[in-house]
Amino acid sequence: MRNTENEMEETRFENITVAPAPHISRPVWTYQVMTDVIIGLVPAMAFAGYYFRIHALILIGTCVISCIVTEWICNLILKRPNSLGDFSAVVTGIILALSLPPGLPVWAAVIGSAFSIAVGKMVFGGLGSNIFNPAMAGRAFLAASFGMMMTSWTVPATINPAMPEISAVNKIDARTQATPLAWSKMAIKRKEPADVVNEQLKAMLMGEVGGCLGETSAIALLIGGLYLLIRKTINFHIPLAVLTSTFVFAGVVYLINPQAYIQPHAHLLSGGMLLCTFFIATDPVTAPLTRRGMWIFGAGVGTITMLIRVVGGYPEGVMYSILLMNAVTPLIDRLCRRTPAGGKPSV
Amino acid sequence: MKLETKGRFSFRGGVHPPESKSLTDEIPIQPGPAVKEVGIMLSQHIGAVCQPLVRKGNMVQAGQKIGDSDAFVSAPVHSPITGKVKEIALRSHAIIGRSKAIIIEAYDYNPTKRSYCKIDDDFDENNYSAEKICDSVRQAGIVGMGGAGFPTRVKIEPNPRLPKDTLIINGCECEPYITCDYRLMLEYTRQIIAGVKLARKASGCSRTFICIEDNKPKAIEAMNEAVESFGGGIQVVPIKTKYPQGGERQLISALLKRYVPTGGIPPMIGVVVLNVATAAAIAEAVVADLPLTHRVVTVTGEGVARPGNFYVPIGTSVAELIQFSGGLKEDAVRVILGGPMMGIAIADLTKPITKTVGAIIALTEKQIGGAKFAGRQTPCLRCGRCLEVCPENLNPTKIAHAVKHNLLDVAENNYINACIECGSCSYVCPANIEVSGHIRTGKMLLARQKKKIPD
Repeated sequence: MRNTENEMEETRFENITVAPAPHISRPVWTYQVMTDVIIGLVPAMAFAGYYFRIHALILIGTCVISCIVTEWICNLILKRPNSLGDFSAVVTGIILALSLPPGLPVWAAVIGSAFSIAVGKMVFGGLGSNIFNPAMAGRAFLAASFGMMMTSWTVPATINPAMPEISAVNKIDARTQATPLAWSKMAIKRKEPADVVNEQLKAMLMGEVGGCLGETSAIALLIGGLYLLIRKTINFHIPLAVLTSTFVFAGVVYLINPQAYIQPHAHLLSGGMLLCTFFIATDPVTAPLTRRGMWIFGAGVGTITMLIRVVGGYPEGVMYSILLMNAVTPLIDRLCRRTPAGGKPSV
Repeated sequence: MKLETKGRFSFRGGVHPPESKSLTDEIPIQPGPAVKEVGIMLSQHIGAVCQPLVRKGNMVQAGQKIGDSDAFVSAPVHSPITGKVKEIALRSHAIIGRSKAIIIEAYDYNPTKRSYCKIDDDFDENNYSAEKICDSVRQAGIVGMGGAGFPTRVKIEPNPRLPKDTLIINGCECEPYITCDYRLMLEYTRQIIAGVKLARKASGCSRTFICIEDNKPKAIEAMNEAVESFGGGIQVVPIKTKYPQGGERQLISALLKRYVPTGGIPPMIGVVVLNVATAAAIAEAVVADLPLTHRVVTVTGEGVARPGNFYVPIGTSVAELIQFSGGLKEDAVRVILGGPMMGIAIADLTKPITKTVGAIIALTEKQIGGAKFAGRQTPCLRCGRCLEVCPENLNPTKIAHAVKHNLLDVAENNYINACIECGSCSYVCPANIEVSGHIRTGKMLLARQKKKIPD
C-alpha cells in the first residue's frame, strides 16, 4: 500500500504545489489599477490636446518617456527587479505633464520627470514606499528651479477674445495669459472687483482658460474622476473631503468680503483643484489607509490649498498642500488606528 | 404566504468570490469508496490529543472507541470500520504537521451499508435528558464539523458562569466550491432538525435560528418545510451571501447585531453556534448511539474528473477519494483540504481526512490566477482594499508588513490576534501580497514567543 501510494505521488501528483490560503484571488492586479487611472486621465489629456495641440502632445510624451527611462535606469543602478510592468511610472508621467504649463521647454520637463521618479520615488524604495506624490515632488522641484517658466501660461489654441488679458506677451505660436486665479489675485491687489472672474465659470468648465495642461477643463477632470469612482479605483472620501473643505473655506471668506474674494465654486473649478482632488490626493501610496484618516487628509488638503490661495503669496496652492499633507500621512495613520469589530481585547 | 428567501442580514466587510458550487450542488450524496485502510488521527479537534486505546494487531469493531483523553476540552476517536489495527504511526497532519494515527486495515467494508440514521415521526427530544444528550455527544466524539473542530460537548453543556440563550445553526457554507452542508440540508433535513432540537434541549437555549445564505433557496425552502411540520420554535433565517458569512463571529453580528468580544468566544454573549453537519451528528449520536465516524465530503474543483459529494469513513486517504472521483486531471496544480479561501494546500495526498474536512478541492492554474500562482507580487500600494473587506475591522496590510519586518510588537498593537484568518485581504490584494499568510505566520511567532507552542 505504502509503495503504491509513493508511486502515485511520484508519477501522478508531481504538479501539486502548496501555498498559503486563500487559493483564489480577485483578478485585479496592480497594473490594472494603474491602467484605470490612465483611462481616467484620458479625457483630461484629450482636452489638453485639443486646447494646446502640439504642446500637449510633446509634454505628455516627454514626461511619460522620461519617467519610464528614469525608472529603468534607477532599477539598473539600485539592482532592483524591473518594475515598469506596474505602469506606475506612466501614471506619474501623465500627472506631472498635466500639471505643467503648456509652454514649458522639453528639457525642463525631462529634468522634472527624472526628479519625480528618481528622488520622488526610487530613493525611497520604489512604488509603495514613497512619502511624497512623485509627480508633485517633481513639479515642486521645477517650480523652485524654474519659477518663471512654471508661471507663464499659454492661452489655449482656441482663442477666446472675451478673456481678460493681464500680461499678454506675443509669441510666435501662442499667447500667454494669467490663470483665473492669478488674475483674480492681481485684480484684488489693484482693488478691482474680483467678481468678474465668476463670468469665466463657463470658460473654466470647458477649459478655455490659461493654466496647466490638465488643469484647464473641469469637465474632463470630472468625467475622469467619475470613472475612477465608478470603477472603485478610488474612494469617494478624499475627493469629497477636499471639495467640501475648499467650498466651506472659500464660502466663508466670500461671505465675509465678496469684494475681495472670488466665489467658492470658482475655487472648486479653477487651478489644479479637480486634478488634485481626483488623481493626486487619491494616490493611495501617499494618502492615509483608514476612512477617518482619509477625511482628515482630504480636509487638510482643501484647507491648506485655500489658506495659500487666500492668504499666501501664490495664486495656486494645491501642490504644496498635497506635499504637506503627504508628509503628515504617517501621523494621520497612527492617529486613526482601527479598533477590531469586537472591541479592544480586554487583556 | 410566499417564502422569504432573500437575506437581509449581513456583517461589515467581506468579499464575493465566484461561488463555483454548480460543479456538485445538484449531485446527491453518494456512498464513498470501499476503503481497504483508514488512518484515524489522534488529533482531530481543538484541545488535548487522544491516547490510543488499542494496540497493534488488535481487532476493532465499527464504532469502537480507539482513542480518548481525560481532558475536558477533547473528544474521543472511533474506528469507522471493522478490521485490524495495522500500526500506530505518524501521519502528516494538515494543521499541526504530524500526528499519531491509528491505521486500521478494513475487514470487508461495504460503503453502501452505512448512512445517516432514520428519524421517526414521533421523535421527541424530551425523551432524552440534557445530561444524556451531553454525555452521548461527548462519547460520540462530536466536534465542530465546519472546520475549526471545537469539541461540541464543551459548547452545548450548560455553564453557570456563561448562561446561553441563543442557538444558531450555521448552514451558510460561504466558502466557494463546498456543497456538503447544502446537500445535507436537502437530503437529511430531519436529522439536522432533530439534532438542533437535541442541542437546544441540552444547552437550554430559548431562541433557535437556522441561518442559510440566500444563494441556497432550495435549502432554505427544505428547512422551512421541515421546521413547519417537525420542529417547533425554530426559525429559518436567510442571510446575505457574502464571504466569510459562515464565520461564527460574522454570523452572530449579522443576525444579532452584536459582536463577540475580541479574543472571546460566543458563549460570552450567550450564543452557541453549531454547524448543520454537527447537528446531524448529534442526532445520530443521541438517537442511534452512533459515534461520529463518517461524514459527507465534497470532492470537487476543476482539477477533478468526476466531482461529487460522498459519505465516507473518517480516515479515508485524500488520494483514495480523488481516485474515486476519477482522479486528478493533467492540469491540476493544487489540492486543498477545505475551501479555497481558508483551506490548507497539501502535497502529501496519502493524508487521511479528519472530522473537520468538508471538502477536497483540486484547482488548476486558471482558478488560482496566473499571477497569483506564479507568485508575482508588486509592493503594497496602500490602496486600502484589505481594510475595506476585513470583517474584523483590522488593518491587514499594516499587520502583514509588521510581521514581514519582524516587528511583532507593532503587529500586536494592531490587534493581530483578532484576525480570523478568513483570507479576504489576500483575495482582494491587487499586489498579490499574501497578507493573511503573513498574519498567520505572525500569530504563530507570537504564540511561540509567549511559549504557547514549543519551537
